[in-house]
Amino acid sequence: GTVVDDIGMPVPGVNIAVKNTTKGTTTDFDGNYSIVLESGETLAFSYVGYRTQEVTFDGNTTTIDISLVEDAQSLNEVVVVGYGDQTVKSISGSVASVTEKDFNKGNIVTSESLIQGRVPGLSVTKGGGPGSGSEIRIRGGSSLFANNSPLIVLDGLPLDNNQADGTRSVLSSINPNDIESFSVLKDASAAAIYGIRGSNGVIIINTKKGRGKLSVNLDVQQNVTTIDNTIDVLNAGQFRNLVRENFPDRLAELGNANTNWQDEIYRNAKSSDINLSARGALFGEIPARLSLNRSDQQGLRRTSKFDRTTASLSLNPRLFEDHLKIGLNANYSNEDNRFADGVEGSAIAFDPTQPVRSHGSPYGGFFEFQDNDSSAASNVPRNPVAQLLQTNNVSNADRFFGNLNLDYKFHFLPELRLVTNLGYDRTESGGSFSRPKESALGVNAEQGEFIGNESRYSNKRTNTSADAYLVYENKLGDFGIKATAGYSYQKFENEQFTTNELLDPNAQEPRTTIADDVVLIGYFGRINLDYKEKYFINGSLRRDGVSKFAPENRFEYFPSVSGAWQISEEDFLKDSSVISNLKVRAGWGKLGQQDVPSTSDYLRRYQTGLSNQQYRFGSPITPFQPLYTNPNISWEILTEINLGVDFAFFNDRFSGSVDVFQRTADDLLSPAPVADGANFSNQGFQNIGQFDTKGIEVNLDYNILRQDDLNWNVNYNFTAIDREITRLAFGQDILAGGIAGGTGNNIQVLREGTWPNSFFTYAQLYDQAGQPIEGAYADINGDGIVNEEDRYISGNGQADVLMGFQSNLTYKNFDFNFNLRASFGNEIYNNVNSSRAQLGNLDLVSPNNLPTQVLETGFARTPDVILSDFYLEDASFLRMDNITLGYTLRDFDRSSTSLRFWMGLQNAFVITNYSGVDPELGIGGIDNTIYPRGRTFLLGVNYNF
Amino acid sequence: CESDLDVELRDPNITLADEIFTSEEAYRQALSGVYANLSLTSLTGPGDSNIAGLDPGTGQYMRGLFNLQNLSTDETIFTFENDPGIRGVQRNSVSSENVLLRGVFSRAMFSVALSNEFLRQSTDQLLQSRGIPTGEFAKFRAEAKVLKALSYYHLMDLFGKAPYYDETMEVGFTQGEELSRTELFDLVEGLLLEARENLPVGNTSDYGRIDQGVADMILAKIYLNSEVYTGAPRYTEALNKCEDIINAGYSLVSDYQFNFLADNNTNGAQNEIIFPIANDGQTTQNFGGTTIIIQGQVGAQEQNGESLGVNPGGFGGLFRLRPQFAQKFTQNSLFVNDGRNLIISENRPIELEVTDPNTGFITTKYSNRTSSGGFGADRTFTDTDFPMFRLADVYLMYAEAHLRGGGGDAGTALNYVNALRERAFGDNSGNINSAQLSLDFLIDERARELYWENHRRQDLIRFGLFTGNQYIWAFKGGPETGTSIDGFRALYPIPAASLATNQNLTQNPGY
Repeated sequence: GTVVDDIGMPVPGVNIAVKNTTKGTTTDFDGNYSIVLESGETLAFSYVGYRTQEVTFDGNTTTIDISLVEDAQSLNEVVVVGYGDQTVKSISGSVASVTEKDFNKGNIVTSESLIQGRVPGLSVTKGGGPGSGSEIRIRGGSSLFANNSPLIVLDGLPLDNNQADGTRSVLSSINPNDIESFSVLKDASAAAIYGIRGSNGVIIINTKKGRGKLSVNLDVQQNVTTIDNTIDVLNAGQFRNLVRENFPDRLAELGNANTNWQDEIYRNAKSSDINLSARGALFGEIPARLSLNRSDQQGLRRTSKFDRTTASLSLNPRLFEDHLKIGLNANYSNEDNRFADGVEGSAIAFDPTQPVRSHGSPYGGFFEFQDNDSSAASNVPRNPVAQLLQTNNVSNADRFFGNLNLDYKFHFLPELRLVTNLGYDRTESGGSFSRPKESALGVNAEQGEFIGNESRYSNKRTNTSADAYLVYENKLGDFGIKATAGYSYQKFENEQFTTNELLDPNAQEPRTTIADDVVLIGYFGRINLDYKEKYFINGSLRRDGVSKFAPENRFEYFPSVSGAWQISEEDFLKDSSVISNLKVRAGWGKLGQQDVPSTSDYLRRYQTGLSNQQYRFGSPITPFQPLYTNPNISWEILTEINLGVDFAFFNDRFSGSVDVFQRTADDLLSPAPVADGANFSNQGFQNIGQFDTKGIEVNLDYNILRQDDLNWNVNYNFTAIDREITRLAFGQDILAGGIAGGTGNNIQVLREGTWPNSFFTYAQLYDQAGQPIEGAYADINGDGIVNEEDRYISGNGQADVLMGFQSNLTYKNFDFNFNLRASFGNEIYNNVNSSRAQLGNLDLVSPNNLPTQVLETGFARTPDVILSDFYLEDASFLRMDNITLGYTLRDFDRSSTSLRFWMGLQNAFVITNYSGVDPELGIGGIDNTIYPRGRTFLLGVNYNF
Repeated sequence: CESDLDVELRDPNITLADEIFTSEEAYRQALSGVYANLSLTSLTGPGDSNIAGLDPGTGQYMRGLFNLQNLSTDETIFTFENDPGIRGVQRNSVSSENVLLRGVFSRAMFSVALSNEFLRQSTDQLLQSRGIPTGEFAKFRAEAKVLKALSYYHLMDLFGKAPYYDETMEVGFTQGEELSRTELFDLVEGLLLEARENLPVGNTSDYGRIDQGVADMILAKIYLNSEVYTGAPRYTEALNKCEDIINAGYSLVSDYQFNFLADNNTNGAQNEIIFPIANDGQTTQNFGGTTIIIQGQVGAQEQNGESLGVNPGGFGGLFRLRPQFAQKFTQNSLFVNDGRNLIISENRPIELEVTDPNTGFITTKYSNRTSSGGFGADRTFTDTDFPMFRLADVYLMYAEAHLRGGGGDAGTALNYVNALRERAFGDNSGNINSAQLSLDFLIDERARELYWENHRRQDLIRFGLFTGNQYIWAFKGGPETGTSIDGFRALYPIPAASLATNQNLTQNPGY
């Protein structure tokens, strides 16, 4: 027989099992299979992302052809879970799988956008720059001070969480069109198999593979992004009035222009994305896929751009009658960037009565404030348009990554497989930063004389990994067993070079920095047991070591155990017409965290002074100083319990899951204070502190309409989370959240008993009319003095409730989709207003423009108000991430040909009470201007033949 | 293979402690690392710090002393009270959470730790096993001890207590015993006396390095302030130490301001400066020391940076003079001709508004220009060395010790005071007579001669003028007109983080 997918393409690698026997086979690259059957035996066809189908052999038919039907809820669907896969039915941890058909539509430049808002407990906060990265958090992240980004595993290659210099993000060089599915391992019992790096959860990305007959897909989209919101500042007229009222002697300094500086720094950003992919069989034998991508993305800030070219090749030959499966993924990516300075601050502050350009200006024709002797003034904002156009900050990065996977099924014992996976990921990047001598931002050689900027840098990062593991899988009567045992090795290397500022003779000399290698070694084992495919027990144990800790501290065991009960398979529910699926799950696991920047604190080390850090004994000599040392530094340990229930009603029409979890991170790797004089700093990483997270996650799918030519399904997901620091080193508060307005000011604190990074402010006093009284704060401790001791916890920057809502509607040839996302319970500290919206800023060296909030408060002095809770605002929001409308022509040429036209709107609207540009800032919650995200209009066409 | 977990250090600027001491030169470099802590905030760049809890530049050693010794007094005010900790210090209302205090306490104890590490690594036994000739090591070790004593002296003066650490104690997380102010006094005195015999005589060491003059100067300081520190006056010893220093051959430089210029290591001031903290626009860059002072002196409206050897706008007018200090030059027309009167008062009201950098007078005492009018190497980072101790101070200390009953000779005292006057006025027009030489005169004269050199708070305390209401200056205790401050504020509180990490430490009374 032959197995084809829903558009008639043959599907290789479909698992075909003869029920209640050990017989089975898989389809070849043309989707064909053959098997010897006896009458009455039942064939089960299963494949990732498709509903399992069963056909009973009647004893006569010689050909059984199958058309697979897509189905996310299939219990026999296979989900990749790390070092192997599992059926949905047998999963007992918290694992979410998102496949291509559920991916977000719209303007997808980086991979994580595909699943933004799709998975409860997974938050993705995108940056505004072209191709920029995202803050990705699973269950809020487990750590206070270590890296909180999840481990991303691409086709079995665990990626480095650190991006190379001059690249936009870890994921920016991966073509989202190559991705077939994501598995998100959220809880410790699921992620423990990645013990050493799994504490923030794991995102497993699987790319598309070759199969069947040749098919080619061409996907083209064009879009334009426009600025949708800017910071409210005074216009030229308001500005002039305010100067006249408050500082009349400075009126003479104002100009005659009427410039909206924020309009001047942005543009309508045009972008295009072209993908061409072909999948089929090479030489008629080797399943292969080749894809090419070219993405040209302009940023909203004038000059900013991201261009990406990628090529991916995937080969999946099978040898020795399918006993050896080979998977080879090879990818090349080139990223070409121009970065734009964050000039929003200057644009806000720049005098709106001054023009962008002034005739005869020595600064490239741009207006700049000048002293009496016509040299550029000091301590004034610089023309933000000039800064953008005169700064050439470019980079180029080449990345090769890929892996070779060998999966050998022993000839003498087909239940046993040996899987080896070799991975390699190397980025070589370089960049340069320059400004011409016409720029007033360059190195200042002598008074009024600028000589520009010139510097270069490069970076080489290599990530090598090797895994090998044995898998034994068998069925003994009603008992199923799958046992996995293996070894993993990973090494990270990083070499950076910078020239430093070449035009400044006093700048630090060019320098190469080679980071200490980080090596991770793990031994792991996992066992999955089931009885009658109703009761499941899964356990894993991993022993991990890392080069960052002393030999006696570097290895640790990370166990997990979990179980599931497929209640709907019990006799009393089996035939229920209401409940089509019901499963309860419980899991417990321990994970380790070691991803802190310090790599060798356990050693006694000395630092040598760099070229500008010498001391003079008569003439300069290079000093040595010992570095902070902590021989006891070791693992941060995360323990998590997860309880879950999966359900489906009315023939899977309504389905979903609920998970509750509690996790505790203990022995936190904290930059904790050290007794003064005892060590070589007053602070260093120590294993002190504890941090708890609790949460509930709900995912609901509802097929509202399920008719031949009308289908409508919606997904709703909900996450509520509560985080609390339960112990900190020495009970000491740790200030965090640096802000603008003063040198070294902090607005947040880490304090026992509170959310991490809670806002730490003075309590503003108000007059009878409800107006804030400038500089008047509550004396909270009542000692008669208002000082540091009167700051209090006034909120936090992290949402405690997140929601996502997706709707997919198809009617005949039309499709209509939209995504909504909401965030509740978080506050933002409006640092734009707190550091700028005071009248005194009109009276600086050049009069600075102010946010319009000053018209309401009349505040005069920044220092009096900078740490006030007055600037905390509710940051809850509801955002329409994207809306797309498509029309598909099918079978107009030959079967399996399709042509889809579509249009979309990205970031359609945001509903919020926040007064600033955008309430979505990531977990920090401090708004000191951002790269705005803008609103994007999209047009696309997809041709499949 | 698990041996791969034993990674090697790859950074060329980082070496294992056991592998770095391969030569006598390496020890010299380690010793310079102890000195460097007085100037640098890290060994990796001016934007970095090996002390956490505050902005890197703000945590620089001399800047910390400047804040606690000068900014808390009548000498100066800092414009930006939005910088953490500033308001508490300049309005005398600090709490133990004040980040500037943590900066100073941690920075000084870091010096103690560095000194101890040098002593730990330079024992005879280790030198022998490493095959290093022991020739110069008695001197090296004596320098490290004086540096340790210097930091303990600062802590004794500012905080009145500090934890005890020496080279025999394990590096890591040991909690040192608390030393009371009297115990600190004995420790500092003991270290200095022990070190002294192995040091070269005063004014003979390499420029910038410690000799007997430096040890004697610290001794003179602690003896002069002994009554404050221990309750027991030791003015005779103070006067004797002053004599030792004076006799060591230091000499006043011809021009007062040469002490504060970019070439003060070569323009003659090197013979007046007993202990400079080196600064260099190219090789010793930091955002403290004279960089912050000179950049901060630049007037916001004057934009006079170029005349001070830095960029025209400097840092936008950080430091101004409080009226009570400015009046020590302006109230008597005599001081119009005083070379130490480097005040700019044109178009400036003498009265201050804290946030308005164009109110209050400013000064041009420090400069990144050289004695011949040239510029320092860089327009951001200055070349000017900070004169931690200089001979002029010793002259005034001699006179004060004499007036306080320390012996010596009245005529000699008068001559020393007038030597400074003659240099300042260029002739004897500013000279005083013996009847005018009084303690009241000296406290003001010390202000005129030594302002912004990190002495003022200590001096006011010794004269009983810092706390209480005998002497009120603008913003003392908070309000613009100034007010009395409580006696307990003559000591700063132990920083909260320092208390928390060392159970042996106790808080000062009143906090």
